[in-house]
Amino acid sequence: MPKDTSADSISLLSKNVRIEGEIQGPENLHVEGYLKGAVELSGDIFIGNTGIVEADVEAKNIVIQGEVKGNVKAHQQLEIHPTGKLVGDCTAASIDIKEGAVFEGRSNMIKSSGTAAGPSSNSTSGRGPQIQKQPQPE
Amino acid sequence: MPLFGKKKKETKAERPQVAVSQNETSYFGKNLMIKGRVSGNGNVIILGGLDGEFNLRGRVKVAQSAKIKGEVKADVISVNGSVKGSLAAKDRIHLDQTARIEGQITTPKLSISEGASFDGEISMNDRSSKPTGTHKTDSALDPLSTTAPIKKIDDR
Repeated sequence: MPKDTSADSISLLSKNVRIEGEIQGPENLHVEGYLKGAVELSGDIFIGNTGIVEADVEAKNIVIQGEVKGNVKAHQQLEIHPTGKLVGDCTAASIDIKEGAVFEGRSNMIKSSGTAAGPSSNSTSGRGPQIQKQPQPE
Repeated sequence: MPLFGKKKKETKAERPQVAVSQNETSYFGKNLMIKGRVSGNGNVIILGGLDGEFNLRGRVKVAQSAKIKGEVKADVISVNGSVKGSLAAKDRIHLDQTARIEGQITTPKLSISEGASFDGEISMNDRSSKPTGTHKTDSALDPLSTTAPIKKIDDR
């Protein structure tokens, strides 16, 4: 995994803390608490086991171990772990959904500029475990 | 007798994850801009921007690079950055050298370091504070409690 992110620090929203509102900036964010509103980061967002996000989320990489309700857009990769749950549509250049993960919604793939890797669009719906892998376009 | 097959964890190695214990201090980095309301239990260190409100049971540290516009309510607040708005602590507030405050402070205990700038007013009647054991003069005798008029004094 590339560790180069535009942000050098990782912000943390811990378990018993909630944010209602908008969050933005070139930062990485780790959510273990509750977040409602809108998130727009040029870094990565990591939603941990106890994290609950009810928001539209836009970030470079998105990793979901907790729960997300809202539309999600990852400029690079979206990753949903076995404990993760996404209810909402996703848009990503690459998606990785582990077995056991819950995903209810539509999926759209972003074509990375300049590359034409893989199928240009990909659509899934329904719930239950799904596994999808797409080579990282690089 | 050692069992073989302890390779579960291998798949996790692909992404460096910061192990975070559940009750750690929340940390809002300097590039993070929050608009809205932050509430709950726990400690927070903020280095970035907040336009809105902190309402926390715990400590809030406003670091030097932080810029806050709005309201900060917590048990303990320590400020190194700039705050425009109000600060209200249940326990205490400390303004460090680099603090820049414009607004109102409400706290039972306050300390200000040399170099801090503070433009505004302070109120130190801690009505909002939890009972700390010491017997306080309460609302009836509180000169600032406007809601309890001093009319009802029995004339002896």
